[in-house]
Amino acid sequence: MRQKGTVGWLKHDVTNRGVTAWLLFGALLGFYLILYYGGREIAGWHVPDVLESAARLVHLPSKWTLYGLIYTLAVTGGGIYVIQKYRHNRYQIIRTLVVIFVQATFAFSLPWILAIFEQPEYYFSYLWPLKIDYFYPSNILAMPLPFVLYSLLGSLLMVPLLGIFYGKRWYCSWVCGCGGLANTAGEPFRHLTSKTSASWRFEKWSIHITLGLCLFTTALVVASFGVGDRYPQFTQAAVSVQSVYGFVVMSILSGIIGVALYPIGGTRVWCRNFCPMAAMLGLIQKFGRYRIRVKDDMCISCGMCTKYCEMGIDVRAYAQKNQDFVRASCVGCGLCAEVCPRGVLRLENRWHKDPQELTMATLLNEAYKG
Amino acid sequence: MHYVIVGNGVAGTTAALAIRKRHKPKHAKITLIGDESDYFFSRTALMYAYMDRLTRQDLEPFERKVYARQAIDLVRERVVDIDAASQTLALGSGKSLSYDKLLLATGAKPRMMPFQGVEKVKEGIVHFVSIQDLDECERLTWSTNQATVIGGGLIGVELAECFHHHKLDVTFLVREPYFWPMALGEEEGSLVSEHIRARGVDLRHDEQLEFMEADAQGRIASISTNQGNKLACQMLAVCIGVGADTAWLKQATSAPRIERGICVNRAFETSLANVYAAGDCAEIDMGSAGHRIETIWYSAKLHGELAAKSMMGDTITYEPPIFYNSSKFFEIEFTTVGEVINVPEGTHALYRKAPGKFITQRIAFDAQRVLGFNMLGSRWDHTVLMRWIAERRDIDYVREHLHEAQFDVEFGRAKLHQMEEKEVVS
Repeated sequence: MRQKGTVGWLKHDVTNRGVTAWLLFGALLGFYLILYYGGREIAGWHVPDVLESAARLVHLPSKWTLYGLIYTLAVTGGGIYVIQKYRHNRYQIIRTLVVIFVQATFAFSLPWILAIFEQPEYYFSYLWPLKIDYFYPSNILAMPLPFVLYSLLGSLLMVPLLGIFYGKRWYCSWVCGCGGLANTAGEPFRHLTSKTSASWRFEKWSIHITLGLCLFTTALVVASFGVGDRYPQFTQAAVSVQSVYGFVVMSILSGIIGVALYPIGGTRVWCRNFCPMAAMLGLIQKFGRYRIRVKDDMCISCGMCTKYCEMGIDVRAYAQKNQDFVRASCVGCGLCAEVCPRGVLRLENRWHKDPQELTMATLLNEAYKG
Repeated sequence: MHYVIVGNGVAGTTAALAIRKRHKPKHAKITLIGDESDYFFSRTALMYAYMDRLTRQDLEPFERKVYARQAIDLVRERVVDIDAASQTLALGSGKSLSYDKLLLATGAKPRMMPFQGVEKVKEGIVHFVSIQDLDECERLTWSTNQATVIGGGLIGVELAECFHHHKLDVTFLVREPYFWPMALGEEEGSLVSEHIRARGVDLRHDEQLEFMEADAQGRIASISTNQGNKLACQMLAVCIGVGADTAWLKQATSAPRIERGICVNRAFETSLANVYAAGDCAEIDMGSAGHRIETIWYSAKLHGELAAKSMMGDTITYEPPIFYNSSKFFEIEFTTVGEVINVPEGTHALYRKAPGKFITQRIAFDAQRVLGFNMLGSRWDHTVLMRWIAERRDIDYVREHLHEAQFDVEFGRAKLHQMEEKEVVS
């Protein structure tokens, strides 16, 4: 039951897909359309480039800097709210502080500082396959060597190693900007993620298809660079695949759908269903140390863990049958353990025999449900 | 074989799933009858629905399609009669249903006392045990500014938290001198009381309801206490415990033996052939150890599991596990294992408290071994604590290894070495 009064109504309405939630969705969608397509034509309509003008007005170099500033402020403001809300939980405090720090430095001020020193724009907090262009040969050639080394070693060595030792959470809920926004400004909407087994089936297909597309696009672009001018038609095909991937995955799915859908579909629509980085880390996580430990016979099946899981995992299904588990999608935000009224759940990095035998079947089906 | 289970609470539903796990649908037809709700829901989570943190459907531990997939027939009906001779049940709708094995898992009802003036009150007295209680609380909250809770147990403190969440002025009457002496030591009980007061609840100890008054419409208007205080309230929550729901059974064509609950032996068999009982409604004859009624979630789940085995022909002798329970008083988490309060006089206990924080531990022990743990304000793995009791570990061993049982979040481990320690004698 919602609380009495206007504030109670608004709080309930905006966080439970009411009228105000849909209005917010519309506003966010409009914002992203103007951001991505300002100054261009969509279906014969000239989209006004108001964000570019706004950026000029406050003496910022471009609308992307303005967007970065707004994003950083949202992560910081939301982060302060989250720290205040979970002030008794040190995992949440430390994790949120790191998220704010990474956003404010690596994702916002550092690229700016690099520009002052006439270096190319580079984000140390983003790696291939999420930032697919960092593996494009044209980009590699244009970057200074240390950046290229960081990019290659980061993606091929650091990501899998940290994934084995700490699970995918080290990236998805400590470093990544998408996860950062979801876990800070997105906090009031985290419970909206669908928990049905149908949504889980969809996720398993969609995220691995996107990963496949990402690998395919990368391979194609690298190959087309290798064969060079000898097969112009092949190069042309590679260019169009590259731009389709950029349009569908990077702008529509990660930007527009990913954030605008917060008030309707929960905070991790992009991370759960499409992000190639999350897909890769998820597969690594299944072989690593990270897991959620369940205290035997202590669950009261209340469902708080399931409700507040932003990745749509039915945590209760495992907790009520005393099963320690690791799910590919789990980003280790730790909220299930936080909201559990009986302290049943604990995030752990520890080698020990998995109660689910690690076979091809468990990888594909993950676990028995219900 | 037709298994009929009356009551779709945790004991009944656990039993139904346990039967299905062993027997395919062609060998076992399972009918799960519930009168309170269409689907099994988590009773312990009612408070989170009241506080707008969960919806009604979130309370259901299983996806609805699970029942069809597991071939468990759900029937929303009230059972009104049992005829053991013909092995049939009469349902409220007039239909009848025959069974081969019957499990009664009808749960418990809130206890009520004949308070003075209660007969004039038509509206405003609430309990907090069923979905219908939740509906009633929600309906009344809109027209309530002041609420009174009586009964210093777990449901009482849960409701006080819910009322407080809805910004009602809450008075909480607890007749004992400190909070929940049945389970907590005086130090912790007083700290819990302090904590509840700090949240803005008017908690009053040693005070009891004497009589109540209703307004012209029959809505509760005020209560008066044994201290001579008159408290205005539009809701009165009576949370003074629960008792087995057996009234309907006593009038049945064939009634099983009933005392405080439905009497069963250690195999969960009632006095009627092929009729079993489990959960809050069961009163288990433990032989020389007396009769036992257990009314917590964990025991109901275990009863359901074991009763199902017994119904399927296994030989079952119920052996209650080392007691454990958990709860939460506003945000203070509580884990208890073994016996801490209900111990012989002269038993020693180690009482530890973190300076400046509400983190306490009480470990009861005798010369040979530890007897029980009461842990507040931090998280513990009760399975480790239970193992120490079972292994008859002594207090020195436990004190040295205590950190192995900690279950706090990463980075948030309670600092055990900083705790102030004293030994107390009960």
